[in-house]
Amino acid sequence: MLDQAFEALKTYDWGTDVAVLAPIDEAVVATSGDSASREQLERRLAAVLAEDVSRDAKDYVCRKLMAIGTAASVPALAALLPSAELSHMARFALERIPAPEAGQALREALASVAGSQKVGVVTSLAGRGENESVAALARLVGDGDPAVARAAVIGLGRIRTPEAARALESAKPADPQAKLEAIDARLACAEALLAAGKKAEALAVYKPLAGPQQPKHVRLGATRGMLAASGKKAD
Amino acid sequence: MGGQHQPTRRRFLQTAGAAAAAPYVITSAALGQGAIPPASERIVMGGIGIGNQGQWDQEAFLGRPDVQYVALCDVRQSVREKYKAKVDERYQNRDCQTYNDYRELLAREDIDAVHVATPDHWHAIQVVEACRQGKDVYCQKPETRTLREGPLLIEAARRFARVVSGGSQRVLEDYTELVNKCWSGELGPIKWINVNVGPLSQLCNLPAEETPADIDWDLWLGPAPWAPYNALRCSGSFATTGGSWRSYVDYSGGGMTDWGAHHFGGATFAVDVREKQPVEIEYIADPQGDHLAFHYDNGVILYHNRPKTENLAVEGTPGQQREAKPVPVYKGEGGIYGDFIHCVKTRERPFRDIELAVNTIAVSHLGTIAYNLRRSLKWDAAAQTFTGDEEANRYLDRARREPWVL
Repeated sequence: MLDQAFEALKTYDWGTDVAVLAPIDEAVVATSGDSASREQLERRLAAVLAEDVSRDAKDYVCRKLMAIGTAASVPALAALLPSAELSHMARFALERIPAPEAGQALREALASVAGSQKVGVVTSLAGRGENESVAALARLVGDGDPAVARAAVIGLGRIRTPEAARALESAKPADPQAKLEAIDARLACAEALLAAGKKAEALAVYKPLAGPQQPKHVRLGATRGMLAASGKKAD
Repeated sequence: MGGQHQPTRRRFLQTAGAAAAAPYVITSAALGQGAIPPASERIVMGGIGIGNQGQWDQEAFLGRPDVQYVALCDVRQSVREKYKAKVDERYQNRDCQTYNDYRELLAREDIDAVHVATPDHWHAIQVVEACRQGKDVYCQKPETRTLREGPLLIEAARRFARVVSGGSQRVLEDYTELVNKCWSGELGPIKWINVNVGPLSQLCNLPAEETPADIDWDLWLGPAPWAPYNALRCSGSFATTGGSWRSYVDYSGGGMTDWGAHHFGGATFAVDVREKQPVEIEYIADPQGDHLAFHYDNGVILYHNRPKTENLAVEGTPGQQREAKPVPVYKGEGGIYGDFIHCVKTRERPFRDIELAVNTIAVSHLGTIAYNLRRSLKWDAAAQTFTGDEEANRYLDRARREPWVL
C-alpha cells in the first residue's frame, strides 16, 4: 500500500483524489516511536523533492516532512528555498523541524535568496525563535528592500531577547505602517525585559514611546508599560 | 499614523462642532437628532471580509445609530459593490469607500473600529495589524488558525490597549439555561461536560479552474499555501465536509473549530473554565468511537464526542454545595455587537474578550492535534507548549506564505 502511494505521488497533481496518499498519512502516524521505520519513511519522502514530480506532489511531501522531518531532510528542503514556487512549502517544513540544522539552513539561505523568498526566510527564522538568528535579523533591519527590513523588525519582536531589543534601536523606517511595526516590536521586547526583571532596560524602551509625538494607542501602551515597570497596576 | 499632526475626522468634527462660525458645514444628522448621537460621538467603523458572515456583522453594526460605517474591504469586486450599495442606501449618500487590500482600510486614521470576517487563516494577521493601527476589533470566530496565534492576538490587544472581541454570539445566547443551572450552584460542583462537534478539516486538492476576474486570488490565499483557484475551495458555504473553505485545513479547522467555537465556548462558560486552558488532552481509543477528555487543573473534564452522550450533557455532584455566582452578561444593548460597541466607548473588556475566545479555540486546536497524533498530550498553558512531545509541538504553528508576516 505504501509503495503504491509513493508511486501515486509521481502523477499526483491538483484534482487527484487525496485518498491515494492515505497510506503515507497513515505511515506518518504509525511510525511514531519506531525510529527505523520513520527514518526510512523520511528518506523516501525527502527523495521525492529531487524528482520530476508536480508542485502539488512536493507540496504534499513538505507537509509530511513538517511532521516527521529531521536534520536528514534539511538539505533537500533547503535546496527549494530559492524557488518562487516551492520556497514557502520548504519553509513549511523547515520552520517546524526542531533540529538546529533547519535553523542553520535558513540562516545560510539569507545569502542566496531575495525579495519575497527572503521575507519568507526571515519570518521562518522568527517563527523558530532561536537566539542564534538575532544577529542575522539585526543585519537586515536596514535592508535596502523595505519588505525584508520590515520582516526583520517584526521577527526581532517575536524573538524579543535583550539582543533583539538592542538591534531594534537602529530600526528607523519612514513608512508609516513599518513605523508602527517597529514600535510594536520594541514594545514586545520591553514586555520580555519586564518579565525578566530588567525594569531599567524596559523603561528605556517605553519612555520615548510615551512621548506626545506618538499616536494615542502607542502612548497608552507605553504608559501602561512604564506603570508596570514601576510596580503600579496598569489597569 | 494616528499622530497628532494630521486632523482626524472625529477631531475635525469635535473642533468644528465647538466653533460657532462653522455650523453651516455640519448637518443636523452629523450633530445628532433625538436618539442619534452626534457624529463626533459615533464609532466610525469599517469591515474586512464582507461576503460571508461579514455581511451579517455589517448589517448589525450598520443598524446602530451610534455607529458610522464608512468603509469595507473584500477581495471580490462584486461583494464590494453589493455591500457598498447597502451602506450608501442606509446613509443616503455615496460615501462608503471600498478596498481590495485590508491594509489600506486599516491605515485610515478616521476609523475607530473594524469587524473582521475573512476566512480563518487571515484573522491573526489582520487583527494584529488592526491593533497596531489603533483600531478596536470585532473578530468573527474561530479567531485563530493555530495555537501560536492566540497569545499574539492577546498581546496585541493588551499592548495597545485595544478592545478586541471574539465573535461567537452563541456562547451566551444559546446555552442560557445550562449556564444558569451551573452558575446557580444547583448542580453542585461540576464533574464533566460533553461536546459533540466535528469533523476535522482535510487537505484540499480540488482541480484548477479559471480564476474569475472578480476575485484577487492571491490575496484570498494570503498566508496560506499557494493553490489554484477552485470555486469550492473558497466557497463561503457553511459546509465542513467538503466544498467550502471551512472544510479545508489551510483555511479552517473544520467543524472542530467552526462549530467548536460555539459549543466549546458554551461548555467552558457553563462549567466556568473559560478563563483556563486544559492541562491534559486524553486520547481515548474506543471501539464505539475514539474521543477526548480535556482535563482542567480544577478537576473539571470536558469530553469531546463521548459515545452515547448528548451534546452539552453535564454531570454535577448532587447533594454537594457549590457557591452561586452571578452570570456574566453583555454590556450595553444589542447583543454581542452592542456589547462590543459599548466597550469601545467605555474601554471595558467585552463579554467575548479575545483572551476568553482564544482559550475556547485552543480547545479545538489541542483536540485536533491529539486526534491527528492519536495520543494523549500534556499542555503547559503558561509556556504554550506540549510537555515532552516535540512532535506535537511542531503543530503549534505553521509557516506563512511570503510575503505575509505575523
